[in-house]
Amino acid sequence: MKKTPILSVQGLNVKFSLRGKTLHAIRDVSLDLYKGETLAIVGESGSGKSVLTKTFMGLMDTNGWIDSGSIWYEGKDLAQYKTEKEWLAIRGKEIAMVLQDPMTSLNPLKTIGAQIIEALKLHQHLEGPAAHQRMIETLMDVGIPDPERRAKQYPHEFSGGMRQRVVIAIAIACKPKILICDEPTTALDVTIQAQILHLIRELVRKYDLTTVYITHDLGVVANVADRVAVMYAGDIIEIGESREVFYDARHPYTWALLSSLPQLGVKGEDLFSIKGTPPNLFLEIKGDAFAPRNPHALKIDFEERPPFFDVSPTHKARTWLLDPRAPKVDPPQILQRLRKGEGV
Amino acid sequence: MAKYLIKRIGQSLLTLFIILTVVFIMVRQMPIDGYFENIDKLDEAVIKATLDNMGLNDPILVQLKDFFLDLLQGDLGTSARYSQGVPITKIVAEKAPISIILGVLSMAVSLILGIPLGAAMARSKNKFWDKFGTLFIVLINAVPAAVYYIYIQSYGTSLVNMIMHLIQGEEAAKIGMLFDQTRWVTWILPVFSMSLGNIAYYAMWLRRYMVDEMNKDYVRLARAKGVDSKKITMRHVFRNAFVPMIQYIPTSLLYTVGGSIYIESLYSIPGMGGLLVEVIQRQDNPMVQAIVMIYSCIGIVGMLLGDILMAVIDPRISLTRKEGAR
Repeated sequence: MKKTPILSVQGLNVKFSLRGKTLHAIRDVSLDLYKGETLAIVGESGSGKSVLTKTFMGLMDTNGWIDSGSIWYEGKDLAQYKTEKEWLAIRGKEIAMVLQDPMTSLNPLKTIGAQIIEALKLHQHLEGPAAHQRMIETLMDVGIPDPERRAKQYPHEFSGGMRQRVVIAIAIACKPKILICDEPTTALDVTIQAQILHLIRELVRKYDLTTVYITHDLGVVANVADRVAVMYAGDIIEIGESREVFYDARHPYTWALLSSLPQLGVKGEDLFSIKGTPPNLFLEIKGDAFAPRNPHALKIDFEERPPFFDVSPTHKARTWLLDPRAPKVDPPQILQRLRKGEGV
Repeated sequence: MAKYLIKRIGQSLLTLFIILTVVFIMVRQMPIDGYFENIDKLDEAVIKATLDNMGLNDPILVQLKDFFLDLLQGDLGTSARYSQGVPITKIVAEKAPISIILGVLSMAVSLILGIPLGAAMARSKNKFWDKFGTLFIVLINAVPAAVYYIYIQSYGTSLVNMIMHLIQGEEAAKIGMLFDQTRWVTWILPVFSMSLGNIAYYAMWLRRYMVDEMNKDYVRLARAKGVDSKKITMRHVFRNAFVPMIQYIPTSLLYTVGGSIYIESLYSIPGMGGLLVEVIQRQDNPMVQAIVMIYSCIGIVGMLLGDILMAVIDPRISLTRKEGAR
């Protein structure tokens, strides 16, 4: 794959003001999104994965702001965008989003045809029969049978999987360049999940999309992603090609995350869980945010934030364990099972 | 849709029938004094003859049948004490128009002011308009209406006179405190007073429903789609927030049209408002019966219209059978 970044995040810091206190939600994140790739961002709830992608579209809640850093997209720094007018040129047109819960993400009072046409009018300036034509095409693209009839129906006449197809249709209708899927299958039936993932993959090929998945389902990641970024406490702590992160993880948090996969558990034994809780983002974080929960933590982990160490040209991790002076620590035994191709 | 309408109208007719029957039977349990101008001066024979003549000594089921037959011909009976011998329909026809006009005007004012206020409050949550609106709503709900009605009447009259003076100069004719049907300026204060409660009510509920809707996922998706926030408020949020409100608007309109006792007596407006209280005080049985029935009809028609309106704007309601997951 040719590696040209389509979107490049540099030193991004995002803060929120909550009950008079400041929460540091994204801490100095840098990330390149390459054209045509599928990147998965994984991490537990509150790790900042959703907030990070929301900054790409200016969709942060009103109490949040970009404190510093830049988001380069086609020669423009999105981090400098202030007014809604500037963002309207990006949202839906350049970058589109698929939300988690299809049962609630469509307006219950509008026909699904009207909801797709609304986007087409905004970005493609299509009206009347041309808009209708394009809307029907899009519905066919997302695999909705009998689109002429279905377009006139309301969301409550669709099942969950069908509604998610409609949401995807809205996202791709205006041929965006980047598609952000915020846990697109979490709310769906397991049998439907696979269909939706398959559909997104087909559309990515057809429309030449760059895709970002936000998920905490590592099964989804293994299925779709070219690259994986692992987030913890508002920071990307490990990033690499899917294969590298799954089979050759280097950060202790990634180890812990992978060890938590229920597929790796042994029948009769307790499932692995990470001890402790994520750090309080209202407080300043010193050193490696994961250090207090890390059984392999070194003294320096509590004092200085580790830099990224390159594992391979495509794989890097933020842990002092990769420093040449650090003692050698082996990944947990349980991860051996991943290599043997069990589970996942 | 047609099926839903027929079912819903049928239900209303049934409810109406039950209410009319209950009211009719209850009024029959009242003392017979209420059918005579002055029962003390009449002797037994005359009383009996009159009751026989009115059919009040017939078995109750026969009376009920006669009552419904009369009703179908638009005959509500005649007043016994309030205005003896005058058909009730005539009395109502004289008093109703003024209340209806006042009610419709006040309703229009309430909607025109209340809805934008509610929408502005929702859009500027916790900012100026929201705080201003909250203050207004709390005041209107906390202060008894009688208190601010009187203030509006006394200070409002001077204010209106002052403004009229500014506009028309010396030849401006002063208005008094009371209502004068022929002078439009005297309509302002009663209509405004009647609207205040409803303005607060609409603003409060619309704000609440809109804030609820704004946090829904479909609004997030609309933003992600690139719809600007004004259009999101108008096309997506407002319409969804209005669905639960629209149900109550016809009822509230009809009750407003039914007249406000307090406003009408304060400005001495010859409307329907005080009529029910008055005929109860005067123990005019036929009129009590007729007016209670009119108000019941208003309530039932209001709810029926509310449900129909809701079915019109919410596609989820018009379905009689279950669709969805397939």
